[in-house]
Amino acid sequence: MAKDYIQTDITSVQQPVEQANGLANAHYIDPATFAEESEAVLKSTWAGLAVGADVPNLGDAKPIQFLGMPLLLIRDKDGELRVFENICRHRGMQLLQEAKTIEGAIRCPYHSWCYSTKGKLVSTPHVGGAGLNTHPSIVKDDLGLNEVCSYVWRDVVFINISGDAPEFTEVHADLIARWSEFDSPLYHGGADSRFELELAANYKLAVENYCESYHLPWVHPGLNSYSRLEDHYNIVEYGKFSGQGTRVYRQFKAEDGSAAFPDFPNLSEKWDEGAEYITVYPNVLLGVQRDHAFTIVLEPKAHNKTVEHIHLYYASDDTLAKNRAVNTRQWKEIFEEDIFVVEGMQSGRHAPTFDGGRFSPVMDEPTHCYHDWVAGRIARHRG
Amino acid sequence: MAEMDVALDALILNAHAKDDRAALVTLYSRAADLAEDVDTECFFLTYAHIFALELNHPSQANLRARLVAYGRE
Repeated sequence: MAKDYIQTDITSVQQPVEQANGLANAHYIDPATFAEESEAVLKSTWAGLAVGADVPNLGDAKPIQFLGMPLLLIRDKDGELRVFENICRHRGMQLLQEAKTIEGAIRCPYHSWCYSTKGKLVSTPHVGGAGLNTHPSIVKDDLGLNEVCSYVWRDVVFINISGDAPEFTEVHADLIARWSEFDSPLYHGGADSRFELELAANYKLAVENYCESYHLPWVHPGLNSYSRLEDHYNIVEYGKFSGQGTRVYRQFKAEDGSAAFPDFPNLSEKWDEGAEYITVYPNVLLGVQRDHAFTIVLEPKAHNKTVEHIHLYYASDDTLAKNRAVNTRQWKEIFEEDIFVVEGMQSGRHAPTFDGGRFSPVMDEPTHCYHDWVAGRIARHRG
Repeated sequence: MAEMDVALDALILNAHAKDDRAALVTLYSRAADLAEDVDTECFFLTYAHIFALELNHPSQANLRARLVAYGRE
């Protein structure tokens, strides 16, 4: 079939970091290329959609648009998180327009077909005529809501749109093992521990910036006083994940100088002053530290538009609101400092002779690792 | 339409206007109870049942049972 765009050259990306270029401009500024890339990178992998804390109570449901697709995140009556297409199996009507708690059934606002929170079609009023709610051709067991493959890790709801990705625990086995010490309950800090940032930039640029520590002394000078560049190390697992770590993490302190938040239980000495910041490819940024963790789900609104959904988590549900508020504010300041960078790189991608740029073999390998992974997904998609 | 039906009809329209679904369960149930034939009864029972289903209303099981008994659900 003829394509209405020119396929980019990805061979220069899949070179050793010393010789590699970054992805071509079209991956950031061309909607058609972004659409092709999304099939390979966002739909056929485990992409981050939301967090469980978005629907904390039984029956909570939240409609979410993902790459233009109407999805519905719901916590069913048994507490299990599920993702469905947010449409009725009858005429394709969107079921929920806004977040709400489902008390009994999900009722389509069009002809009132009703579904359980587990997606089962439970009633089809008047389907056989007035007051006759069955018809032989309408088999309820065949017409439940279309469910999207999902998996929850560290409260992040990951989805596999294509439905044919290997199991999440298989794909991310190494990362799950790496952070196994943090495999303990996470408590979202609540309304004061979540915020959103809108970026006029492609989501990949947020990943690229997050992966490396090279920019820290320039973009986040406030960190220089205790977290110097040489205190950081690269995390690079080609084909899997990348990020950065620090050896000088300091606990968040309350006004009186004591630890503001309890530590996650059973951590080894490594984490006394260690912290790591890793991207779960393709679009989830995670940070773990002894006393709190954070998650950033990057919502790709368009090739040049992203929303960062940021959430802070603690080891206990008994933390002081005033401490959480200060912690949230500090992280927000840091993440806001990155906005001009990713938006500047987005603008820069309109320079016609830019070749994707080069990487510092020493400082940028986590970013190259991500580009290499994206290129690999695209190559596989193109066959 | 009988006088009482007109009043009930007004109450139902008012409940729809207010999106008062609990009231709709009650009012459509009453309309079903007042129906003079099975088809009309099941027509109103269907509304009552659907809103009860949506709300997880206590009368849900009973409404469903009535429809099932008539072979309508």
